[in-house]
Amino acid sequence: MIQTEIQRKALARTLNETKSKGFSYLKFITAVDYPDHVQVIYMFANLQTAETLNLELKLHKTDDDLWIDSIVKEFPSANWYERELSEMFGIKVMGRSAKRLLLENWNGTEYPLRKEFVWGNEYKKVE
Amino acid sequence: MPLTRINVGPVHPSTHGVLHFVVDMDGDTIRHIETHVGFLHRGVEKLCETRMYMQIPSYTEKFDYLAPLAWDDLYVNTVEKVLGLEVKETAKYARMILLEFQRIASHLVFLGTLCNDLGQMFTMFMWSFRERDSILRFLEDVTGGRMFYVNIRLTGLNRKLPDDFKEHAHALADSLETKIKGYKEIMESNPIFVERTKGVGRITSKQAVEYGVSGHALRASGIEYDIRKSNPYYKYSEMKFKVCTETAGDAFARYKVRYNEIFESISIIRQALDAMPDDNNVEGMPIKLISPQAKPDIIVNNSEMPRGEGIIYLVPDKQRPYRIYFRSGTYTNAAVLEHICEGIKYADLFTILGSMDLVAADIDK
Repeated sequence: MIQTEIQRKALARTLNETKSKGFSYLKFITAVDYPDHVQVIYMFANLQTAETLNLELKLHKTDDDLWIDSIVKEFPSANWYERELSEMFGIKVMGRSAKRLLLENWNGTEYPLRKEFVWGNEYKKVE
Repeated sequence: MPLTRINVGPVHPSTHGVLHFVVDMDGDTIRHIETHVGFLHRGVEKLCETRMYMQIPSYTEKFDYLAPLAWDDLYVNTVEKVLGLEVKETAKYARMILLEFQRIASHLVFLGTLCNDLGQMFTMFMWSFRERDSILRFLEDVTGGRMFYVNIRLTGLNRKLPDDFKEHAHALADSLETKIKGYKEIMESNPIFVERTKGVGRITSKQAVEYGVSGHALRASGIEYDIRKSNPYYKYSEMKFKVCTETAGDAFARYKVRYNEIFESISIIRQALDAMPDDNNVEGMPIKLISPQAKPDIIVNNSEMPRGEGIIYLVPDKQRPYRIYFRSGTYTNAAVLEHICEGIKYADLFTILGSMDLVAADIDK
């Protein structure tokens, strides 16, 4: 697995390079909420060589920094993953035409996979 | 002419859970389709952050209830990597055998329900469920559970294999092979089945990569990609089997890939049975809440499940996941429907749905 940290500005350029190297299959996009930042993970695969490439993007946890550019144009399969990111982590995805979220009835003021969102009291009990 | 809007679902038209389509139609041609998911979202990823490592398998099993062992195994295997444990040699073979039987059972449901969806009522359905039942009975013998097994433990299985495991498995493989060979005629010599599947729901290999389809749908579009071959786990690198591919990319090709895969699975089962040591040393660690401490490395683990590639991205904490992400093949295969269903006839929607073989619980999680 190749792992690279990228800058948000360089995302489009990196994606084109990624594609030209044969990593044309998007496996998934997901995010992790760390104490000081949110990390977005893009996982690509080269279907011929079965290699995988992992691009990581660090976002600060402030409202004006929590956004990424949509990659739907380059990778149409990113659509549902981006919807999931904005719904579960509150990451704004810029440049998307479809605004519909994935789970739809979620009110969108709290983001379930962020650590501020506590699952009942059980988490504390186990601790 | 104004378009007619029809709601298909939320009850999945071929009963695999809850799925909702809003279809805009011009006559009986679909102009636009919107897939709505989320009816079965249980928040498992969040739930897992509050549970100890070995409390989680009973959740992961319920993702794909037609092949529970697949997620069970992938999850436990991921935890083994996180904790730095090695799977016992005999258990590797035993897991492979169980997984391949599970794959056949899952493919049989696919064959049966696909034929039902296409109006070839009940003959195939009853036959394939009869064969599936013999597999479930075998799995019940081995694991103790009929539908949900939760029998994969760290480094092995929950208990020793029965004494007649090998004979029983060989006999079952033989009987499955003979019986399933007979299916071919009833499916492929049936003009209704062939006409309703050939050329329907075509996904070209370029589209397949672009839209990220997974598993049998990817292979039916001519792309030879199978995790068991390209990134082998357990003892798959020692097994001789071929990756079944088709080039047409239509519903018939997807059926064909699945059908052929059954025989490859049978061949893997036989090879694994022959190569498996006789020591029956498969018992894994009993479930304890406090497990050995996790290493801090992030683990990405994947395996070839009956419904496509399953991936787990796990950021470990010491005793429980800090963050766990599950990606299933059905998720991407459901996302592709909006792209391939435009311009098709309404009746073909069900062929495509049947041939993609979605399980709604596996999409939402």
